[in-house]
Amino acid sequence: MDINFLIKSMLFLPLVASPIVYLLGRSSVRKGTFLGMSFAKMFTVLIILLEGCLTYFTAKDWIGTSSSIYTNIGTVLIGFDGVSCLMSLIVVILGFCVTLFSFPYMQDEDGEEKFYALLLALIGSIVGLGISQDLFNLWVWFEVMAISTYFLVAFYHEQPASLEAGFKYLTQSAVGSALALFGIAVLFSQTGTVYLPSFLGAFTALDPMLYIGGILIIVGFGVKAALVPLHTWLPDAHSQAPSGISAMLSGIVIEAGLVAMLRIVIVLNEVTHIWGLILLVLGCVNILIGNLMALRQTEVKRLLAYSSIAQVGYMLVGFGVTLYIGFTTGITGAAGGYFHMFTHALMKGLAFLAAGALLYVLHLAKGNHSPLVLDDLNGASKKYPAVALMFSVALLGLGGLPPMAGFMSKWQILVGVAQGQTAWLIAVVIFVGLNSILSLAYYAPIINRMYRHEQSEVVTAGEAVSSWMITPMVVLTIGILLLGVWPSLISKITVPAANIFLSPFGF
Amino acid sequence: MTNLPVPFIIVLTILGLVGVGFYCLLATRNLIKVIVALQLIIKGVFLAFVLAGNLTGMISIAQTMGLTVIVADTIVAVIGLSMAVQIRHKMGTLDTKALSSLKR
Amino acid sequence: MSSNLLIPLIIGVPWLGALIILLDKDRHEKLQHSLAVIISLAAAAAAVLLIPQTSKEVAFSVKMGSAFGNFSFVADGLGVFLTLIATIIGSLAVIFSVNYMHGEEGLGRYYAYVLFFIGAMSGLVLTSNMLLIFFFWEITALCSYGLISFHNDDPKAVRGGIKALIITSVGGVGLLAGALLLFVYTQSYDLNVFLSNPSVLPAKMLAFLGFMFLVAAAAKSAQFPFQTWLPDAMEAPSPISALIHAATMVNAGVYLLARFFPAFAGIPYWKEAVMAVGVLSAFLAAIMALFSNDLKRVLAYSTVSQLGYMFYAIGTGDVFSSQFHLFSHSIFKALLFLGAGAVIHCVGTRDMTKMGGVGKKMPYVQWMFIIGALALAGIPVLNGFWSKELILEAGAATDVKVLYWIMVFVAGLTALYTCRMVWMVFFGEPRSDYHAHRAGAAMKIALAPLAAGALVSWLSIDWFSKLLNSGSLPFHTLKALDLTEMFHEVFTLQTLIPLAVIAVGILCWFFRAKLAGITKLFGWLRYLADHSFGFEGINTGIVKATQNCAEGLRVTQTGILGLNILAVLCTIIILFSLFAIGV
Repeated sequence: MDINFLIKSMLFLPLVASPIVYLLGRSSVRKGTFLGMSFAKMFTVLIILLEGCLTYFTAKDWIGTSSSIYTNIGTVLIGFDGVSCLMSLIVVILGFCVTLFSFPYMQDEDGEEKFYALLLALIGSIVGLGISQDLFNLWVWFEVMAISTYFLVAFYHEQPASLEAGFKYLTQSAVGSALALFGIAVLFSQTGTVYLPSFLGAFTALDPMLYIGGILIIVGFGVKAALVPLHTWLPDAHSQAPSGISAMLSGIVIEAGLVAMLRIVIVLNEVTHIWGLILLVLGCVNILIGNLMALRQTEVKRLLAYSSIAQVGYMLVGFGVTLYIGFTTGITGAAGGYFHMFTHALMKGLAFLAAGALLYVLHLAKGNHSPLVLDDLNGASKKYPAVALMFSVALLGLGGLPPMAGFMSKWQILVGVAQGQTAWLIAVVIFVGLNSILSLAYYAPIINRMYRHEQSEVVTAGEAVSSWMITPMVVLTIGILLLGVWPSLISKITVPAANIFLSPFGF
Repeated sequence: MTNLPVPFIIVLTILGLVGVGFYCLLATRNLIKVIVALQLIIKGVFLAFVLAGNLTGMISIAQTMGLTVIVADTIVAVIGLSMAVQIRHKMGTLDTKALSSLKR
Repeated sequence: MSSNLLIPLIIGVPWLGALIILLDKDRHEKLQHSLAVIISLAAAAAAVLLIPQTSKEVAFSVKMGSAFGNFSFVADGLGVFLTLIATIIGSLAVIFSVNYMHGEEGLGRYYAYVLFFIGAMSGLVLTSNMLLIFFFWEITALCSYGLISFHNDDPKAVRGGIKALIITSVGGVGLLAGALLLFVYTQSYDLNVFLSNPSVLPAKMLAFLGFMFLVAAAAKSAQFPFQTWLPDAMEAPSPISALIHAATMVNAGVYLLARFFPAFAGIPYWKEAVMAVGVLSAFLAAIMALFSNDLKRVLAYSTVSQLGYMFYAIGTGDVFSSQFHLFSHSIFKALLFLGAGAVIHCVGTRDMTKMGGVGKKMPYVQWMFIIGALALAGIPVLNGFWSKELILEAGAATDVKVLYWIMVFVAGLTALYTCRMVWMVFFGEPRSDYHAHRAGAAMKIALAPLAAGALVSWLSIDWFSKLLNSGSLPFHTLKALDLTEMFHEVFTLQTLIPLAVIAVGILCWFFRAKLAGITKLFGWLRYLADHSFGFEGINTGIVKATQNCAEGLRVTQTGILGLNILAVLCTIIILFSLFAIGV
């Protein structure tokens, strides 16, 4: 199959399918039967699987080559490279798991058909973001992705808390998008084109426009990527959204913001390495603040949301160090950052799905919209052994304990940092290591709670967990454990993705 | 004032629009005004695009991007306003004070 | 069978067993018990089969790309020796658990953690890849945490587990930093590449590496200043205390130092630091053991103290005697812990002041325990005597005599607290109304080989020397002793001094009534010992400070939209001004 066709269909398939799913679902609502809705759900899964196949075939053709594959839609340049491959892979895996998980979770909800339609649009926009090769295209897909998530976060429109979280998320995200756009305008004004390769020679180190544009880009996309202190929308949005969407948000949406930022910063970094230093320092702040805030949380999903902030910090440290110390010492830091993106998607996705499963059987199935608190988890392992075990695997992996994948990705990031060979970079290694241990201080007690004998009241009164929820969690668990003992499985994708740091346009 | 070059005036306007938008965003207590403030900011950025297109001579690209921006931000405004309507229904008020229950 | 098949079996079979037992979901208790016993015995058998395969060649290797190195395993003398200890004592602990954990809920989780641990410990000592050493190091910490907090409903157990996890992981950061430095300078993860040429690191970096590894080893082996986690880890079931916290995991620190000794011996003050850590731990722990009334805590402190001896031995330069003492200590300490476990299980309490006269009800356990106690105290003919004497001989040969005298004094203290422990538990009249039933068959079966080992393991010194010296450890220069040489070394005038001190220690116990006056003088020491010489206070302080910091930080999440946007603006302004100043 012609690879250009594959790339374009990979982009358009979910976007075209999204309104079809909506119409199918709507027809069942209007006719009052369930047939249309079931068709819609099956169709969604089918589309995601098809998308997965397309990704696989595209990746197969691309993996042998060491550079990106470029093609055009009209006059707009798109290209498939390592980052695109990684993004598509993550979004397909997570999307598949979330869709299966949501079958019982979103059953009979008001507006269920909109959920699946928007989920497909989200998947499509993230694929689009991955393959964009120019500044504006990047922003457009970023905006489409954001728009798909606004309604998904505020999905429970009868609950005041969800509406509050949704509105605040919308406002802050729109501010971020505006600032990012402003930055793009500034950069555009210097070169006259939004075509990224042209930025390579456009600035000198003393040009103020470079700095203004760069800062606006970092802050603008950083709102979405949950940099501290731009992160304040995240705990609310991730805890109030339906659990499948929380998994998607933590797993891929904030990383998409990070990827968009990186595409631009890599080019700007050619002029001066200060951008890497900024990312490195911001990353360390993220890790510390994320861990400290999570330490005192009593709501489970809010705790996981704060932990996402910390995990983004690890990725920033990895990327920042490669940008800062220069590429001659190797791209291990960036490869580690991309590896951590993948493992974080798996582990945080699994954690949110497990927490969501427990939230559903303990609260939601009874129509109770109160949040899942730590005390609710007491003794959950007797009644829900599989969910408890998989939740433990996810939490220990997030804490960086082997044999889960999180250990390997953190290791790779730290190898990258250590290659700087300066004293303060070694201090960064020790700082990151100590913070990993700090995170264990809030992950481990959750596991201890679940394995108590004495059950909390809600657990005793809880319902059974459906296998639609268990299956995707098993898929994610196997992935985490496999990568934990065999980390080089994904190197074929993360290393080319990191090579973009070396030669931004594969030429 | 008329001696100042045109781009400088436009830069002032852009900064003015964005600045007023941010000030309104920070100072207002009404949800609808928040959305309006967002619109102000985006319009300021749009003007920046137009200026950039003028300065570099790439007017058509700037116009295309501008149109896309208008479409995107209209959608965001619509979604925001619909959320504001829902909040009015559920909480009976459009005051941002009603939106401060999720904290710490 | 060749080593490239045996090594994956030693690690893989217990791991597979752990998975199978876990998936059984506690439906068939008998199956879980028998499966665990069979698998651990299989691992032990594989370890024994590995002995003739000892060599310095890489036995098994998997390529993993540039950031992860080659996952390689080498069956050299040091590794094979520690694997034998891990798997054999592991199987004995599992056999003991058949009785001890009978009827417990969550048995699948228990055996899964134990088998997972056995595989990981073997992996730790058999691998030559620094990443894998750290990998298995952290897995052992994970299993230790899971098993200490096995009874999740008991807040003390949960606290103990998390404390152990955090303190050993803090040490682990030292190992992490060191391993990364090693890679960055030698461009390889293989520790043998480093050992063959340690000077490839600049002197400052080498010193940093050496001290980082010392921190990691001290934290893992519960040495000064990290000794507070081991006594609290005694909340674990006794077979776990025997296996993990006496015979294997805590030895990982000693292993690390022994393995890297050739590279670090030349660092200025490194050997002195190791000796100091060992002596301080041995001394402080012995005092704390003397004042404690909890049977398992006394044994925990005694473990810290004996590990101090091993650290001291490495500091003097005699790696051989430290490993020989590790050998003896694993056997007699496991024996003591399993014996204590039998007593606690049958009597129902850990408090020694409530025991007394248990020997009349449980004679078999009493005699097993006494054999272990004699070995611990260093009474002649038992294995503890020979290994401790070898260490003291090595210590006497150093320049820093004051440390040697302290260690001799600690030997006396050891004898004193051991006598106290044995007397309070097994002799005299019952001090409370307890009901003791006989130990089960599985418990007795597990205790016997250990007691036999405590009596005769020293006879195998010949074979032990050959194992360590057969050329599989090309960078180490180790002593090689056979039986007659050992007699020569030990039976000198020098030996009489420690023997005399031990005799004085034992006499002190028997004449304690007459010495009551002096004991009262040391009341202040009892206070210090109970509070772990202030280190517990440091721990609590750090935890409280972190919690307060986190609680204070929560106000930044205000929930007010205006303030959130203000944060965005402030970020822009701050970054702009940073650039304006900088550029």
